[in-house]
Amino acid sequence: MGILSGIARYLRLLGGLAVYTLNRELAFRGNFLVKVSVEVIWLAILIAFYRVVFARTSTVAGWDEPQYLFFVGCFFALNGLIEMLFLENCNEFAELVRTGDLDGLLLKPIDEQFLITCRRIDWGTAPNVLMGSAVMGIALANAGWQPDLLRIATFLVTFVCGTAIAYGFMLMLTSISVWMVRNQSLMEMWWLFSSLARYPKEIFSGPWAEPLGAFFTYCVPILVVVNVPANAMVRVLDGPMVALTIAATVLLLWASRRFFHYALRSYRSASS
Amino acid sequence: MTPLETLESPLEAEVAPSAPVPRHRYAKYLAIFRVSLAERMTYRGDFFLATVFRFLPMVTTILLWQAIYEGAGKMQSEMAGFRYRDMIAYLLLTHISRMFSSMPNLAGGIARDVREGTLKRYLLQPMDMIGYLLAYRVAHKVAYIVTSFIPYALLFFVCRGFFDGLPDPATLAAYALSLVLAFLVGFFFEVSVGMVGFWFLEVTSLLYIVMTVNFFISGQMLPLDLLPEPWAGLLKLLPFQYMAYFPAAVFLGKIQGTSLWLYLLGELLWAVFFMILARVLYRLGLRRYSAFGG
Repeated sequence: MGILSGIARYLRLLGGLAVYTLNRELAFRGNFLVKVSVEVIWLAILIAFYRVVFARTSTVAGWDEPQYLFFVGCFFALNGLIEMLFLENCNEFAELVRTGDLDGLLLKPIDEQFLITCRRIDWGTAPNVLMGSAVMGIALANAGWQPDLLRIATFLVTFVCGTAIAYGFMLMLTSISVWMVRNQSLMEMWWLFSSLARYPKEIFSGPWAEPLGAFFTYCVPILVVVNVPANAMVRVLDGPMVALTIAATVLLLWASRRFFHYALRSYRSASS
Repeated sequence: MTPLETLESPLEAEVAPSAPVPRHRYAKYLAIFRVSLAERMTYRGDFFLATVFRFLPMVTTILLWQAIYEGAGKMQSEMAGFRYRDMIAYLLLTHISRMFSSMPNLAGGIARDVREGTLKRYLLQPMDMIGYLLAYRVAHKVAYIVTSFIPYALLFFVCRGFFDGLPDPATLAAYALSLVLAFLVGFFFEVSVGMVGFWFLEVTSLLYIVMTVNFFISGQMLPLDLLPEPWAGLLKLLPFQYMAYFPAAVFLGKIQGTSLWLYLLGELLWAVFFMILARVLYRLGLRRYSAFGG
């Protein structure tokens, strides 16, 4: 009962924060429209790139055109979801540490990790989730995909797991700000992260690339984030990989929370 | 912000002081260059790290193109005139093109000067704004090239297998010229975009859109030759190709003979076009300009 009411309370809070940030965003509609247009252009560029590539080849690393299009849509939606929910919040953390404004957040009777990483929703990237989903839908139609409940369920579970893994990595990177105070490299690291997640893991072939691919699958599981849900939906339903993804999610969420609390213990208020 | 005054004749304020002895005219821009260079070199550690970070995604790009060529069964042949090795060499070389042609914060800075009224310092001092920005930017570029020389040298050394060695001296000279012109095209293009700030005050949104589109049409993602016609031909007529595609294609010997000279002439014309456009927009903008701020 206690847990349930706790969850309900946090969901209520999240709803309140979402409405608040939406109102703020709509106060600057022009800016919102520009942000969305940039994302639309970016998606168009990604699709144009793959159209050009698939005009000259029928497969890339074993993925045919509709499968690859699904992968692109999956990446775009997942990346959009992470940017919408967490990126801006994590990016502001270093500034909270530097100015000492973190004190105010730590004093609130709410879980500090929730408040710091979920307090703002970047609605400008919300349409990315819809656009990515539309691309996935088109890809499925192109592939002549037959509805399969098991695949859909696995996709949804691993999509959430992928988001959670990315969140775990981002939280760890964010926590480092407590010591570095200035953490401008977070965005650079995030760019690196997404540049690894945006391609099928089968491209890691060859004498030096295979160990690298294995490292980013089993040790630092960035490659599973988009690969596993996309694979489950349009290619092979790989049971062990799905299990690995779920296990990695649990482990990373636990480890990143521990690391975040460890970092907070090193925080020395800077305010007067 | 309070509107202080609308300059009766802003052009006079800008033009009048430009009479002194020519030697002094250039000495002050040299001084701006020296000060800006010293400023930029302060953060060389930051520079170095940022450059290294920028290279890492190159690993996945190399692997992706390898998969594309393997998928097409063309590891030993060409795609639109580019072998696999050429493709990677091309993508590496676009980093060098962008090193010269990208102008972070230039247009945004001009729009901010207009919005906040700090532009008046150029009107009150015996200094031309575009001249000042050019000297400042050259210093930034020199500092960037010096600090990123080691990581770039390392990258090209590691990736030397993708190159057929250095091109002949004539091609190298054309390459160097194309890079200098790429700097000028990039600089005056961004200044022109910044000048739009006289009319719209805030150009960040416009810049975002321009930069996103530019990423593709300048050939940073793939050589323009891979695009179907009429797109490839059309994009090669635009100035954006000179900011990434053209210098890289020159280095790889993809453009030679008469077309090389014609394209270089085209690059020069675009640089002159944007130089004139920036100047005209500046003059027109100053007529509308009210010096805000204290």
